[in-house]
Amino acid sequence: MSGNAQEKRDNREKDAGRPPLGSVMVVGGGVGGIQASLELSGLGYSVYLVESSPSIGGVMGMLDKTFPTNECSMCILSPKMVEVASDLNIEVLTLADVLSVEGQPGDMRVRLRLRPRYVDAEKCTGCGDCTAKCPVKIPDPYNAGLNVTRCIRVPFPQAVPGAAVVEGSVCRYLQKGKCGNCVKVCQAGAVNFEDREREEVFRVGMVIAAPGYRPFDASRKTEYGYGIYPNVVTSLEFERILGANGPTQGHVIRPSDGREVRKLAFIQCVGSRDVTVGNGYCSSVCCMYATKQALIAKEHLPTVEPTIFFIDLRAYGKDFEKYYTEAEARHGVRYVRGLVSGIRERQRTKNLLLRYLDEGGCMREEEFDLVVLSIGLEPPCGLAEGLGLELNDHGFARSDPFLPVLSSKPGVLVCGAAQEPKDIPDTVTQATAAAGVASLELHQARGTLLTRREYPPERDVRGEEPRVGAIICRCGSNIGGFVDVPAVVEYARTLPGVVFAEERLYACSQDAQEWIRRLVEEHRLNRLVVASCTPRTHQPLFRETLRSAGINKYLFEMANIREHCSWVHMQEPEKATRKAKYLVKMAVEKARRLEPLAEGESEVIPRALVIGGGVAGMNAALHLAGSGFPVYLVEKEAELGGLARNVHFDYRGEDVQAYLRQLIEGVRREELITVFTGHRVADVSGFVGQFRTLIQDDEGRETLLEHGAVIVATGGGEYRPAEYLYGEDERVLTQWELEARIAARDAGLRRLRRAVMIQCVGSRDEERPYCSKVCCTEAVKNALALKELKPEAEIYVLYRDVRTYGFREDLYRKAREAGVVFLRFDDGLRPRVARSGGSLRVTVPEAGLGEEVAIHADLVILSTGIIANPDNSELAPMLKVPRNAEGFFLEAHMKLRPVDFATDGVFVCGLAHAPKSIEESVAQAVAAAARAESVLCKEKIVTEGVVAVVDEERCSGCGICVRLCPFEAITLDRERRKAAVNPSLCKGCGTCTAACTAGASRLQGFRADQICEQIEAAATAWEG
Amino acid sequence: MTEEKKEGRAEAGGEDDVRILAFLCNWCSYAGADLAGVSRLQYPPNVLDVRVMCTGTISPYFVVKAFQEGMDGVLIAGCHIGDCHYLKGNYMTAKRFQVLREALKFMGLEEGRLRLEWVSAAEGEKYAEVVRSFTEQVKALGPSPLRRKRARAVKGEKGAA
Amino acid sequence: MVDAEELKALIRKKLEEGADAFLCLVDEEGSLVPALVTGADSPDLERIRVGGVRYPLAKILVELLREYPGRRFAVLARGCDERALVELAKLEQVDPDRVELVGLACTEEEARACGCPKPYPTRVDLGERAEPAPEREVIEEAEFLPDPERLRFWEEHFSRCIKCYGCRNVCPMCFCEDCALENPQLVEPGVVPPEFPSFHLIRALDMAGRCVDCGLCDEACPADIPLRSIYRRMQEVMEERFGYRPGEDPERRNPLSELGTEAEIKKIMGSGLEI
Repeated sequence: MSGNAQEKRDNREKDAGRPPLGSVMVVGGGVGGIQASLELSGLGYSVYLVESSPSIGGVMGMLDKTFPTNECSMCILSPKMVEVASDLNIEVLTLADVLSVEGQPGDMRVRLRLRPRYVDAEKCTGCGDCTAKCPVKIPDPYNAGLNVTRCIRVPFPQAVPGAAVVEGSVCRYLQKGKCGNCVKVCQAGAVNFEDREREEVFRVGMVIAAPGYRPFDASRKTEYGYGIYPNVVTSLEFERILGANGPTQGHVIRPSDGREVRKLAFIQCVGSRDVTVGNGYCSSVCCMYATKQALIAKEHLPTVEPTIFFIDLRAYGKDFEKYYTEAEARHGVRYVRGLVSGIRERQRTKNLLLRYLDEGGCMREEEFDLVVLSIGLEPPCGLAEGLGLELNDHGFARSDPFLPVLSSKPGVLVCGAAQEPKDIPDTVTQATAAAGVASLELHQARGTLLTRREYPPERDVRGEEPRVGAIICRCGSNIGGFVDVPAVVEYARTLPGVVFAEERLYACSQDAQEWIRRLVEEHRLNRLVVASCTPRTHQPLFRETLRSAGINKYLFEMANIREHCSWVHMQEPEKATRKAKYLVKMAVEKARRLEPLAEGESEVIPRALVIGGGVAGMNAALHLAGSGFPVYLVEKEAELGGLARNVHFDYRGEDVQAYLRQLIEGVRREELITVFTGHRVADVSGFVGQFRTLIQDDEGRETLLEHGAVIVATGGGEYRPAEYLYGEDERVLTQWELEARIAARDAGLRRLRRAVMIQCVGSRDEERPYCSKVCCTEAVKNALALKELKPEAEIYVLYRDVRTYGFREDLYRKAREAGVVFLRFDDGLRPRVARSGGSLRVTVPEAGLGEEVAIHADLVILSTGIIANPDNSELAPMLKVPRNAEGFFLEAHMKLRPVDFATDGVFVCGLAHAPKSIEESVAQAVAAAARAESVLCKEKIVTEGVVAVVDEERCSGCGICVRLCPFEAITLDRERRKAAVNPSLCKGCGTCTAACTAGASRLQGFRADQICEQIEAAATAWEG
Repeated sequence: MTEEKKEGRAEAGGEDDVRILAFLCNWCSYAGADLAGVSRLQYPPNVLDVRVMCTGTISPYFVVKAFQEGMDGVLIAGCHIGDCHYLKGNYMTAKRFQVLREALKFMGLEEGRLRLEWVSAAEGEKYAEVVRSFTEQVKALGPSPLRRKRARAVKGEKGAA
Repeated sequence: MVDAEELKALIRKKLEEGADAFLCLVDEEGSLVPALVTGADSPDLERIRVGGVRYPLAKILVELLREYPGRRFAVLARGCDERALVELAKLEQVDPDRVELVGLACTEEEARACGCPKPYPTRVDLGERAEPAPEREVIEEAEFLPDPERLRFWEEHFSRCIKCYGCRNVCPMCFCEDCALENPQLVEPGVVPPEFPSFHLIRALDMAGRCVDCGLCDEACPADIPLRSIYRRMQEVMEERFGYRPGEDPERRNPLSELGTEAEIKKIMGSGLEI
């Protein structure tokens, strides 16, 4: 740690003063911890981010791609990691373990063990000279041990901190006092063998535990031969094999002989849904990641034939079902429903013979080249010992049934997979929610421990000739492997205005930012061009770097020579190189014409509007009010409560109605919440910080609300079936109708002899090609309740896949043990219900046996799906936010911005976003509230520089731009015949500019003259 | 083969080497092109792209300039109608395109040299396919007559100097 | 033939009713020039003439309205003048409350000579409505040619251009403070004839939904380039695609100057493009 950081901490301790303290410790540096830290910083708290390994990034940093968008994992995570590194209010403590946590909310003491790095992270440039001279080889942890690295190395190219680390236990110098090569070659003098382990106590207001999970040790399933057969790998290892930055550079080859894989098997539920290894729960993510890995493997090597052996395909999340069905139907991924009982290896070929029981009960054997074990998620170490948390039966952190980020210990919040196995968006949601709950506790101390970023004054470059610096990124081999980077650098040097051009292995790495800052100074650069990847993810990082070098951040331009070049012209390196050159020329020519842009400021009305008074909306409102912000809560019905009014108990037996009553009471009691029941939103205008919303009651009376943020919690609807005699025969019920009867202790149910539940009614069909997520749990829960009521009743559940993910699997097992019979049917072969004498006759082509089964039942219960709220179609255009094909609101980013919209200041939660359980809705609601809070807690909002402006001298006041603005941001002064743009309303689309024949209307940063330069550059480049 | 076509081929490394300029909107089509890249979908390297925030900002002048500067084809790609990040920016693209296409046609430039496509952020495959098919289409038309004219003019200038 | 006394009476009436000046053409030593008649007993009244040359009166009015804020003008307007004024009002260049029209119908001879699609204003105060005489000769000639030959056809025409900007200067619909035709990035300065086809293409695009087909550009062009036919073709496109005719309906706007609705867009795009 540098003296500077030490000093900062001393100051914090000193100033900390009386509780609550305005600081939080986040334990775990994976995507959850990163998200929580960034969120907290935005909410006005200082953060210690504690990570046990040498770099933050966690498992997400090791993933090749993410489902269901197949986005490059590192590409979306790396900008966040860099943001953490450059955030003055987040201090990253790596190689640190929590020893104990004590105290009360607002005043916590955390004792940490800080293990030695043996390298001064502040001095190390990450050059790699030490690694080149280190004689000690170790398995590379970043690549899951599939290749070797050296004892001293930078953990991975995008590591934060981007400094080397020494593996002390194997270092020759530390163990035997010999070698010391690294000390000799390090020109920065960063290696420090005097570094020692120490313990330190930190005072913070709250603690957020985000330690992630421990991958299941596959060698425990001895029947699969992991660790014995070289061609049996875990899914985490396979992820690295797929990684372009992995040991095989993404070539799908097998470990034994480096041969390309043709037949590839995935075995699901390895260490999950398996009481024999003590893990009765479902790990929730494996079905989807296996599907993703199969798809990516095929993408890398089209000849691969992937087969996934599974029990139930759990594609229950937003857009998962489509991903799965497309994988099967369009991309040739083979799904086999069957339990693999063992693997044998063929001695000569090292191929693997899988024995499995197919659905019909036949034992089969099939040969594969490579077998991937889809290993489950186990609870991480240190939950109980270090953090002092109570655990549940599965060893995960015990948490509140309705707000799952509340742990058993006051002052400690928990998020991510440590609470229950979950995917990235759910982790990000919980992390955001945890930050919000921490803020709820600490809001009185908001801002008290912040360090403000001091930028160097901006150099006025307006009179200067353009001096462009061009950085050409190799992106490891992603660009460098297909584009002749040195040739592009040479070419860039010949371009007018370019005074510096150089290549870089990873232009986005932390040390590269420092390098760029130095370059700006040394070469007096006043424009920067980076030719690397897409500006959509990396432009903010480079702009920030440029600004911190004292140059206006808009004097930056990117050339996308990866996504738009090297990756799409892999077979034509010469032409790819030529194209890269031209793209660089276009960027340079535009950069030469860039001008510094000023960002504006606008006021924030510190109040929020929450649309929808269900569980999600009420939680969001209560959270914001609890943090001191007034809230308008608008509900179209006469009563608060929403869909949850239909749910009486949840799968853990919690009383949902009692919870709902308590929520409603809380809302009614809270003075900062103004409730408008029986009101609808009629019109929304304004923008982040300053919205004006007109609401209307049933009689058309209008109220105008002014607020700074909006939370959309409009909920969903229940599919009303027209099939299975519903509505025609009173013995056909929905699950909610059944639940109401169970809750009412309906006497008729005690006479029940046989009931049939039919799953996927209104879900996973052509019209609604998505999974409603909750119905399987709902059915199992009610089946058990019926069994409890009348144990001898026969209950049949007709299903397609039982999707009781996470801990819900316990319930499914319990139901089977209680004698509930589960019969599977295939899509397209749906059950039929007919009246037959005194009962209902249900026939179903049972998929496993291939025979039709007929059941005479007293009751048929339909597990109806969740549909989007039809009101969404009216609300979406008012709020200027998108919906997906099914009518649910579409968030800004599937993985990393799960509660945001692209429109600033508008957030989404609950069923408005997608079908989900109550506790998931609550977590999302609190997350949305935290996001809204991050808007409301600021005095001013800084508006973008990329907005339209009107050059008055050229404006004739024709008014075309005024009518073309989709955001009503332009006004016309008829007297003066001049148009003017309100920069706070302008979204920077530039629609107005294209219509202005006089060229008076201009989009800053995309001016016509700049685009014309790009066009000319493109054309002339080709002419040579 | 006409004289002019031969000339075009001689000047620019063959008719295969058509030059296409693409205007992509930041939110959908640029992202779609990014997805094509992330998915490693391969397509011909004849397209140079200009990122704009919205296709609504693409002035017909830009397209005229691109052709005047010797591009053989111009592709405009934006969000599907209804998906525009700016709600209605692409409405204007759709309208202007109608007029632009007819104007170019009336001037005698082949219709096939200008194309408008809606490509969403999720349509990496579509983007790749659009580039493939458009490149094929422009190749079939050969170098733009305006490029050939321009090449002559440039040569003339060089000769004079 | 227009009756001179009738015209004078109309002008006097307008001036008495509150117009501050009347814009019309007067005989100035043998040539017709635009002039403002400011009083009911002005001697200029005797010099007023109708017929012969045309001037872009709408364009002149735009200037007058700017120069004399608060003043009201009356104008002797033909069909084309009225169309221009209607379109200019939509573009905020003319305040219709400050302009009164005295409608003049063109003679049949004039209409034919002009190839006019509508040789009379909405209200005719003077003269008789003549039959419209639209012509498509050049358009048909061009459309008949295959692509490369059509390109050469226009290239030949445009090669005569001396870049005098007469077409723009006379155009009643051109009022930009800064003209795209003088933007060096779009039109290379100092090159005559201007680059083909961008110079004329840019003007054609700007005329879409705007050109009122007055034909003054054709009259002004010293090189006899059939400019009007190009702009006319643009109006045909506007009518085919959007059902819009510039200068006709004061309540409807050029579809290129407003966003419109999703349904409209889908209808327009219906042909040959997947949405």
